[in-house]
Amino acid sequence: MSERTDGRGDVSEPSSTAEDGRSAGDPLLRVENLQKSYGDETVLRGIDFDLDRRDVEVIIGPSGSGKSTMLRCVNRLTEFQGGTISLDGESVMAMNENELRRRVGMVFQDINLFAHLTALENVTLGLRKVLDMSKGDAEDKAMSQLERVGLAPQAASYPAELSGGQKQRVGIARALAMDPELLLFDEPTSALDPELVGEVLEVMRDLADGGMTMLVVTHEMGFARRAASSLMFLDEGKIVERGPPEQLFDSPERDRTREFLARLTTISEEA
Amino acid sequence: MSGERSTARQALSNAGRQLPAGRSLGLAVGALFWCWLVVRWVAIWLGSKEPFFPATFFEGLATGFRNDGLVMQQTGGALAPVLDFVAGVWFLFSDLAGFVAFGVEYLPELAEGAWLTVVLTVTGILFGLVIAVPLSVARVYGGPVTRGLSLGYIELLRGTPLLAQLFVLYFGLNLSQYFRGFTFGVLPSAAVWVAIVGFTVNSAAYQAEYIRAALESVESGQLTAARAIGLSRTEGIRHVVLPQGLRYAIPGWTNELIYLIKYSSLAAFITVVELFESGRIIASDTFAYLNIYGMLALFYLALVLSATLFMGWVENRVAIPGLGVRDGR
Amino acid sequence: MVLSSASPLVFDPIAAQALPLEWLPPDWQFVVRNWDYLAGGLGVTIVLTATSILLGFLAGFPMGAIEVYGSGPLKRLVSTVGVVLRAIPIVVILVFMFFVAPIPFPSGEFGMWLPGIGSFDIGLSAFAAATVGLGLRSAAYQAQIFRGALQSVSGGQMEAARSVGMSKLQAIRHVIMPQALRRSIPGFQNEFTIVLKDTSVAFAIGLAELLKRSYDLFVESTTAVLEVILFISILYFIMTFVTNRTLDYLGEYYAIPGGEG
Repeated sequence: MSERTDGRGDVSEPSSTAEDGRSAGDPLLRVENLQKSYGDETVLRGIDFDLDRRDVEVIIGPSGSGKSTMLRCVNRLTEFQGGTISLDGESVMAMNENELRRRVGMVFQDINLFAHLTALENVTLGLRKVLDMSKGDAEDKAMSQLERVGLAPQAASYPAELSGGQKQRVGIARALAMDPELLLFDEPTSALDPELVGEVLEVMRDLADGGMTMLVVTHEMGFARRAASSLMFLDEGKIVERGPPEQLFDSPERDRTREFLARLTTISEEA
Repeated sequence: MSGERSTARQALSNAGRQLPAGRSLGLAVGALFWCWLVVRWVAIWLGSKEPFFPATFFEGLATGFRNDGLVMQQTGGALAPVLDFVAGVWFLFSDLAGFVAFGVEYLPELAEGAWLTVVLTVTGILFGLVIAVPLSVARVYGGPVTRGLSLGYIELLRGTPLLAQLFVLYFGLNLSQYFRGFTFGVLPSAAVWVAIVGFTVNSAAYQAEYIRAALESVESGQLTAARAIGLSRTEGIRHVVLPQGLRYAIPGWTNELIYLIKYSSLAAFITVVELFESGRIIASDTFAYLNIYGMLALFYLALVLSATLFMGWVENRVAIPGLGVRDGR
Repeated sequence: MVLSSASPLVFDPIAAQALPLEWLPPDWQFVVRNWDYLAGGLGVTIVLTATSILLGFLAGFPMGAIEVYGSGPLKRLVSTVGVVLRAIPIVVILVFMFFVAPIPFPSGEFGMWLPGIGSFDIGLSAFAAATVGLGLRSAAYQAQIFRGALQSVSGGQMEAARSVGMSKLQAIRHVIMPQALRRSIPGFQNEFTIVLKDTSVAFAIGLAELLKRSYDLFVESTTAVLEVILFISILYFIMTFVTNRTLDYLGEYYAIPGGEG
């Protein structure tokens, strides 16, 4: 059994992958010497980190630093050239990619709700086609996920009838419904109008408090300070500095980290 | 719907990209084709319809391959299967040489028909444009009456088959009687004039739709800005909206040009001996349907691909950075 | 026949005979008296449009999918065939199908019946050649429509579908296709009317569709030429108009609420 089942019940049930023979001390996600390039352009130059269950890692860094690419390597939406990524002790390259993606949910910057389906159908599609659930079961489960993000009343609305913040909350419900062990967030609020950011962050904070393991690319420093167990500063395809958020905010070891955080804070204060 | 013929353009503009290795080869073949066609036209005007190459050479080749193949087929022994295969290849060569011989013999006549195809296409699109610009401007900026008239014209002509329109002009109105006096030079028959009228009238409706869509895609702020610096409405349309809108309409023109090249073949049914009709005449003389219609297909392919390349070039020539570079429709 | 008064396309030939036609000019009386013959042509035109569009859809849809998702020789073959079919005049394609293509089209005629038109015969070989010619040409265009529609669905939709664990095929089937089909309705609308109008070119292979039958009539009665052609032109116009409105309605009916298409 995965260790999340003890403790808080408000986190989705873990999948049936038993920890056969693996040490209970394995981190949920282990990234070792991850390297990735597009043609001549190297995007990731050796990334190493572990992410334990129930941890929330916030990744920051300038645009083009490789943050999104790294997320996409984890669920293999993009292939990488070197290093290993293991989920629960098993290399993701050894897994069936559909199974991997079922276990690792993803929330997108541009949201990508299925435009032809209602909010409810957006959530049930994966349940029915990937998990082969019956229509009734899938709808029950989807409704509970929509309730979790506060959107049960909008279940019958189409994406174009929802606000940006509502859409992104459906996006989160869609990912949650698959009972992922790990959730990836790729700048989930950066495409939203400022006044809609709060509702999405609130849902994410609730998830973090509930013990969901999350890997979050965001520049919302309030969220990082409040919810992150660890903060990672990525630049030019490398981890510049990583540590508890208060440490990076208050006494970063590297000047680059300090400069970047200073700039982020000024920008967000101006905005 | 403005994009009626737009898929053709998209598809054909991809043709070059789809066959990257063949691109420069295609250009070379195209250049050769047009050189030959122009020289051929000049020769025809000077009174010569003799092929430039002796067809007998290729006929000899075809007979040679065929005879060799027959001999091989009849040879028995251990090598018989191999020889049978080679004979098959030889028969293919024979057919190809026969096709070329046929082509060499009849290409002058096809070239003569192609001249009318080009004349019908070019005059149709140019005269059509002259009508289409006021039609589209009336449709977008006109009052209720001009708008309605323009819409009625466009919808009627786009809602009925071109062939029926040609029949109305040629058989119904007997238009050719008015053109009897104008049969000189490159226009050997009054029917050609009727066809030109038909293609002009038809093409005007389609072009008006393309231009309308293009005009509407020019931001309304452009006309407001033109008015704000003191231009009249007409001046604003003339100097600000049309120069932008007509560039947006280029993809539409490419479609229209291709459409006219292909549908000029319908002039055959009002007795115009353009490319298709000249092929049909040869077919009814020789019964060599496969050869002649294969040849026609190649001929139209060459014309249409040339038109696509040419319009792509035009589009690049008149391009303004950030304007009119719409992909597809 | 009782149904007939419901639609403008519909005409009751028996009542027509009984109609006092004297108030009409003689040439228009000629048109009305020959309604039966023209209505048969109208039937052939409608059936030919339907079979051609259907064949075009059945062949064009996979062709479009191959152009987007396929690779290698198959994709090259499909796009080359498409370029050729789109570059050749429909009359050449039809004549080729009828005279050259080694397809053993059956000979003879078959009877059909359509509401409001009554029964009419269709010449089998010309009809089959016309269906194949118009259908394949339409397939080449419909492939372009579907290709464009598939490509217009953003790549993010595929990523999102994949990220909940769907296979590529499942993603295409459940997420991309439903959106692409809706987006191809406007293009399909144009294609439908193009095929409808181009059935008139089957005149070239002697198929007794609407235009051919009008030709037969006005060759017979040379004073009524304009009346006959104008009359069938109106029929064509009504057909394209009705088709467009019907497909407009379909497009609205299947539109995604609030969606951009």
